[in-house]
Amino acid sequence: MDVLWFFEWLDASYLATLSKSSAGMFAVVQMVHLLALALLGGMVLLGDLRLLGVLLRDVASEVVLANTQKWFSIALLGLVVSGVYMSAAVAMKLYYNEMFWAKMAALVVGVVFVYAIRRPLLRHDHQSISPWVLRCVAVASMTVWITVAACGRWIGFS
Amino acid sequence: MLNEWLLALARWLDTHEWSTGLHESLYVYAWVETTHVLTLMLFLGMLMAIDLRMLGVGFTNIPASTMAARLDKPMMIGFAVMLVTGFILFYAIPVRTTQSVWFRIKVVLLIAAGVNAWLFRGKMRASVGDWDTSPRPPKRIRVGAGLSLGLWAGVVLCGRAIAYDWFDCYREMPRWIYWAAGCADELAALE
Repeated sequence: MDVLWFFEWLDASYLATLSKSSAGMFAVVQMVHLLALALLGGMVLLGDLRLLGVLLRDVASEVVLANTQKWFSIALLGLVVSGVYMSAAVAMKLYYNEMFWAKMAALVVGVVFVYAIRRPLLRHDHQSISPWVLRCVAVASMTVWITVAACGRWIGFS
Repeated sequence: MLNEWLLALARWLDTHEWSTGLHESLYVYAWVETTHVLTLMLFLGMLMAIDLRMLGVGFTNIPASTMAARLDKPMMIGFAVMLVTGFILFYAIPVRTTQSVWFRIKVVLLIAAGVNAWLFRGKMRASVGDWDTSPRPPKRIRVGAGLSLGLWAGVVLCGRAIAYDWFDCYREMPRWIYWAAGCADELAALE
């Protein structure tokens, strides 16, 4: 499946014109992307380190996870919106950038993992889940999101 | 005076072989910068979790003092990593960074955020017993948390903006920007 047409369409869109028009605005959107990255990463680390029994051990893990999941979704929305804005300015460059595709692949894996596996699983009483399953979920979650972020930073270097 | 002294220091650092090596290395510099950016997840992530609790908008069913006490250590580990990688990034490009108006604003905001955090800690310790489990902390605590988030957003914006050359010394700029950015040679040429 070739999605070149999508990137050509994005490159010619009004959003691309808008995104290219102001370098100052672009930097502000980059700041939003970074702040949302911090929030998303913070929620991932807080939830997963609680599952691993490293952080907030004196608070029930169901309580910690319910809180982190809410802010995770807000952060993800912020990242996607600011990400699409930035992508529009460099659509054709991204299409030919390997790190961008690595990031998108990791992102899809991460989103499916969070909403189809991690959340439905953690809706159950955590005591009833094998500790090893919880540990594997926590490590997988941290690995995939750090990969997404690292690939994102590397788009700029490659 | 201060600008000349800072520039002299930066030029001296710039003569170091290690500084040049870091700057010219394809992967070490990129990895240090990646570590700096990704550690935002740990440092700023934990800070945001604490501040959202203090604003009364998140983690409201967890006592405020528990959030502050338990997340302090990972936050400070993150801060230490950011500080060390930040110094390495500065050391790799000392002259341009010293003459970056964004870097200068960033340092000022960092100091302001530090003072705010210190004052905040005092205010919190003095009164937390009264509102620890209440979902909405008192106004002065919420103001402190809002200020903290605003100052750190400013630090991130300035950090990101260092990469742009909008106000680099080689450009034609008003005298006060040369002064603010510490473009000592350009200022001397205007005399």
